[in-house]
Amino acid sequence: MENMQAVNSFVAAYLKKKGFKEAEQLLEDLQNKESAPIDFHNDPELAKFIHHFSQSEDDVARYQYGYSKLRSWTYGSLDLYKHELLRVLYPVFIHSFMDLVAKGHLQEARTFFNAFREDHELMHSRDLQKLEGVLSQSHLEEMEFARSLRQSKVNIKICQYSYDLLLQYLHKTQSTAMLGVINEHINFQVSSGQPTSISDDAEVVTLIGSCQDAANQINQKEIHWGLLEDSLEERLEKAGGLLSDSEKTEGENKEGDVDETKKRSVEGGKQGASTKKLKKDKAINATAKSARPEANTTSTAPRVKPELTLPIMPTEVEQSILEDLRNRVHLSSVALPSVSFYTFLNTHNGLNCSSISHDGSLVAGGFSDSSLKVWDMAKLGQQAGSSTLQGEIDSASSEHVVGPNGGKRSYTLFKGHSGPVYSATFSPLGDFILSSAADTTIRLWSTKLNANLVCYKGHNYPVWDVQFSPVGHYFASASHDRTARIWSMDRIQPLRIMAGHLSDVDCVQWHANCNYVATGSSDKTVRLWDVQSGECVRIFIGHRSMILSLAMSPDGRYMASGDEDGTIMMWDLSSGRCITPLMGHTSCVWTLTFSCEGSLLASGSADCTVKLWDVTTSTKVPRNEEKSGNPNRLRSLKTLPTKSTPVYSLQFSRRNLLFGAGVLSKNM
Amino acid sequence: MSNVPKEAIEVVAQSIGITNLSPDVALALAPDVEYRVREIMQEAIKCMRHSRRTVLTADDVDSALNLRNVEPIYGFTSRDPLRFKRAAGHKDLFYIDDKDVEFKEVIEAPLPRAPLDTLVTSHWLAIEGVQPAIPENASVEAPSDGKKADYKEDGLSADVKLPVKHVLSRELQLYFDKIVELTVNRSVSDVFKQALLSLAIDSGLHPLVPYFTYFIADEVARNLNNFPLMFALMRVARSLLKNEHIHIEPYLHQLMPSIITCLVAKRLGNKFTDNHWGLRNFTAKLVASICKRFGHVYHNLQPRVTRTLLHAFLDPTKTLPQHFGAIRGLAALGPSVVRLLILPNLEVYLQLLEPEMLPVKQKNEIKRHEAWCVYGALLRAAGLCMYDRLKMFPGLLGPPTRPVWKSSRKVVTTNKRKASTDNLMQQPPVKKIASDSAIGMMPINSMQVDMQGAVGGFSTTIGGSNIGASSISRQRTNDNISGREVGGRVLRTSTVLAQAWKEDTDAGNLLASLFELFGESMLSFTPKPELSFFL
Repeated sequence: MENMQAVNSFVAAYLKKKGFKEAEQLLEDLQNKESAPIDFHNDPELAKFIHHFSQSEDDVARYQYGYSKLRSWTYGSLDLYKHELLRVLYPVFIHSFMDLVAKGHLQEARTFFNAFREDHELMHSRDLQKLEGVLSQSHLEEMEFARSLRQSKVNIKICQYSYDLLLQYLHKTQSTAMLGVINEHINFQVSSGQPTSISDDAEVVTLIGSCQDAANQINQKEIHWGLLEDSLEERLEKAGGLLSDSEKTEGENKEGDVDETKKRSVEGGKQGASTKKLKKDKAINATAKSARPEANTTSTAPRVKPELTLPIMPTEVEQSILEDLRNRVHLSSVALPSVSFYTFLNTHNGLNCSSISHDGSLVAGGFSDSSLKVWDMAKLGQQAGSSTLQGEIDSASSEHVVGPNGGKRSYTLFKGHSGPVYSATFSPLGDFILSSAADTTIRLWSTKLNANLVCYKGHNYPVWDVQFSPVGHYFASASHDRTARIWSMDRIQPLRIMAGHLSDVDCVQWHANCNYVATGSSDKTVRLWDVQSGECVRIFIGHRSMILSLAMSPDGRYMASGDEDGTIMMWDLSSGRCITPLMGHTSCVWTLTFSCEGSLLASGSADCTVKLWDVTTSTKVPRNEEKSGNPNRLRSLKTLPTKSTPVYSLQFSRRNLLFGAGVLSKNM
Repeated sequence: MSNVPKEAIEVVAQSIGITNLSPDVALALAPDVEYRVREIMQEAIKCMRHSRRTVLTADDVDSALNLRNVEPIYGFTSRDPLRFKRAAGHKDLFYIDDKDVEFKEVIEAPLPRAPLDTLVTSHWLAIEGVQPAIPENASVEAPSDGKKADYKEDGLSADVKLPVKHVLSRELQLYFDKIVELTVNRSVSDVFKQALLSLAIDSGLHPLVPYFTYFIADEVARNLNNFPLMFALMRVARSLLKNEHIHIEPYLHQLMPSIITCLVAKRLGNKFTDNHWGLRNFTAKLVASICKRFGHVYHNLQPRVTRTLLHAFLDPTKTLPQHFGAIRGLAALGPSVVRLLILPNLEVYLQLLEPEMLPVKQKNEIKRHEAWCVYGALLRAAGLCMYDRLKMFPGLLGPPTRPVWKSSRKVVTTNKRKASTDNLMQQPPVKKIASDSAIGMMPINSMQVDMQGAVGGFSTTIGGSNIGASSISRQRTNDNISGREVGGRVLRTSTVLAQAWKEDTDAGNLLASLFELFGESMLSFTPKPELSFFL
């Protein structure tokens, strides 16, 4: 009874403290009446809880204690269920920390954080770095990441048995602090049956907070990933089907030769940097011709109607593209591409980005001194015969630099931006360049006139990335202002603004059919947007760091994204799921590109390598095999190390010759 | 509790002149300062990533401050990453070594070298997936992760090549020995002819090609005096080159010197009776066929051959047989080579050759014979060249010109007769030449006159074709056809030949100049109009 008394008095004190006047009144009434004991007295467990609660009300150490107990219990649990239970630890950890901060126990919060951060360093290092800076309640309010975490619940898939185990443990140990955190911030999705496999825990990696449900909902939307109707490829296939095989190859040979000579005479060897290259290209074509007939992968893709009015292509351009398509080398795991590499020298750490035109003849570099420089590789091949060796560069270039005005430059200088140029992109025909810079503008330049044509203002912060659509005319930009925008060349206002990312939009890429745009962000998600409606139609969650590069497969079905840690993920657009992560790079993946028929993926990284990945094997895997969970289905075919040159950009020409560009950096 | 201690805040406060900072304020500010610094660094890292770098620089921090509309921190701009030094005695205390710089020193220092301008170079990173071993590519290093290990093994097995033993079958060895024996000893027999045929058509001889090449090169070098052997060797070479199953290109560079030697060697054979002229003729054809067949594969083959021959031809110290060989070789390479290389030098060369041909000046009959042979070769070369030119313009030789040719043939025959009598009578050829040139000069003189008339006749109608027309008219002056008639004829043909006028004039001039040098004998090389009817 004495115990009862104590409980009663505590409850009364608690209610009073919390300001529950009516409840207090009621309790007093009840106590006064002494008629019937309140049911919680009958429930010894609950009483114990409350008792426990009263004792440790102000005891911040119980967080640390409770968490360390939970942690050691989890690590000691059965192997089969361990990984599921381990997932619970991270949200509990960060929320405990934030609770402590919110309650003002900063010192304890810091000790707690430092004590256990190592556990999560591997998976969540970047989140931890952010959270580390949270040192007061106001920071919690201010920091978007923390706020979204606090406001939302984490979904964790867990099997019935693991769930039971966890509850049992929490009850047994009476660690109310942990129970409170778990109840408040974790939403268990209990599934019956076997525990899920380790590889499927993509969602738990990124705690994007707010929109887990929203993301799921968004990913339900239908998307049409097929290729455009009446595309050039399709036309080519039709035309090819009419001709008999022998005629076809014969025709190709002739036309190819004519084309080669025509190109050489008309464009002055624009196709390659030198005639040597032209020849090589031709030789490759010859070898690949025999292998072409089975390359009908694209024909299976469904066709969709364009939602944008597409620009009309001049017939002669169309002809030359068709010619290129006909002479395309068929690449596969056994037929790897040739890679021509453009190395920037003497950039003095000033090169921010580079871009290669679709035929590889033009290379653009955006510099931090606000300049954009364009090299015509066809001309370079003529004059730079003497300075091909790296040792000779000093003498050769000192002749070059007679003076900024008088000396003959090997490039065309485009001046106009007033801040570091962060991105440049060539139009599909190579006649325009777009560049985006820290001065919040995007500028359109003509490579024919060597002049600035338009300055597009609309973003409020630096524009990180700009990309021409596959048909030209339209382009998309991504900015620090957390929006991506769609523009057309003839309007100075954006056509669409895509808002939704929780942090900077770092990269943008068009879908092959121009109806969608993908954006990668510092919030570690990739989103797919409908260009017509401006709606987000997919959210891809799985990366553990900032997304740096995106690539869309030519058949429109898959997307690859590369992040800061060197992970590349292949996504199925229709399901919104990651097919498999591609591990191999050890540093930032700056660039990704699919080969023209989609059989290979090339990635360029800050670790000074170009890697070629076999994509066909991965994407053709039947459903059931996918379930069984072999995490390394995508094969790394080849690693091509450069000589201390981080790879900034890669581009497959229409004939499937791979062009790469990077800066020779001596202090790597 | 935070990484920024409150003392730091106090120090900063003092440095900007706030002395009475309460400890509470410092305590409250410290965590906020840390938070702001972290925030700035987070933005700076974003800027670093977008500058495609992995090392943070002061520029990035400035850009991050810009993003927050904060004045950047001046004085640290450097494109290169900052160099931190470890403070002695502290484990994780670093500082930037920032030396004091004398203002005077900076001013007086010589201007630094202008920084090099940005360049782009290109190279092949991979060719069909294989990295070429060029200085621009990184040396092959051991791949780090296990997945690449098997590739590495592949690469190793490809890299380490064992010395290959060339296994020659017994039959082939016998065959080789037999051919060698035939070539050396029985080169006039029928068996040797069969052997040559076998060399020219048999497949499966490829393993023997290096041995044959070596054999030929070796024997030619040692046996320049052995004329029959040389001829046999050249015939073997020709047969080998004829064989379509043999891939002989890689061995051409070994074969060519021997062949060229047989063409322009100082002496071939040791007896006067040795028909080295024939061998040179034969070899010239061989060289021409090689150039024709492999010229497109080795772009410098024909130029090199031509250069060698031209050197031999233009070097007055070389003997006449050498000149003969060179001329035959050049002639065999085609009329255009002759036109470009021999004809411009023809006049000078003939002046040198002339004394050699005269019994008065050259007593040695053999030498004189040689000179005549060279003269013949030159005549033939020039004539064929001209024939080639004239053949292209059948319009020139149309019906109206027939009388011209008839009459000129008459001249030729008389000339021939004359020449034969000359020969019979062992008259000094100088007289013949003199008479030839007299005959040659005569029409030229008359041409000068008639040309005026011809020009007057149609110059207004065909502007650029005067010379061509005149040269034609010159040919016709022999028969006193009036310039106006010719003009009318030319006018008609000109519409047909408008495109070819330039060439035509060349051909006309060519004939004229050759006519000057060789006289009437040149005319035997002009295509017969009668023949052109049958073409």
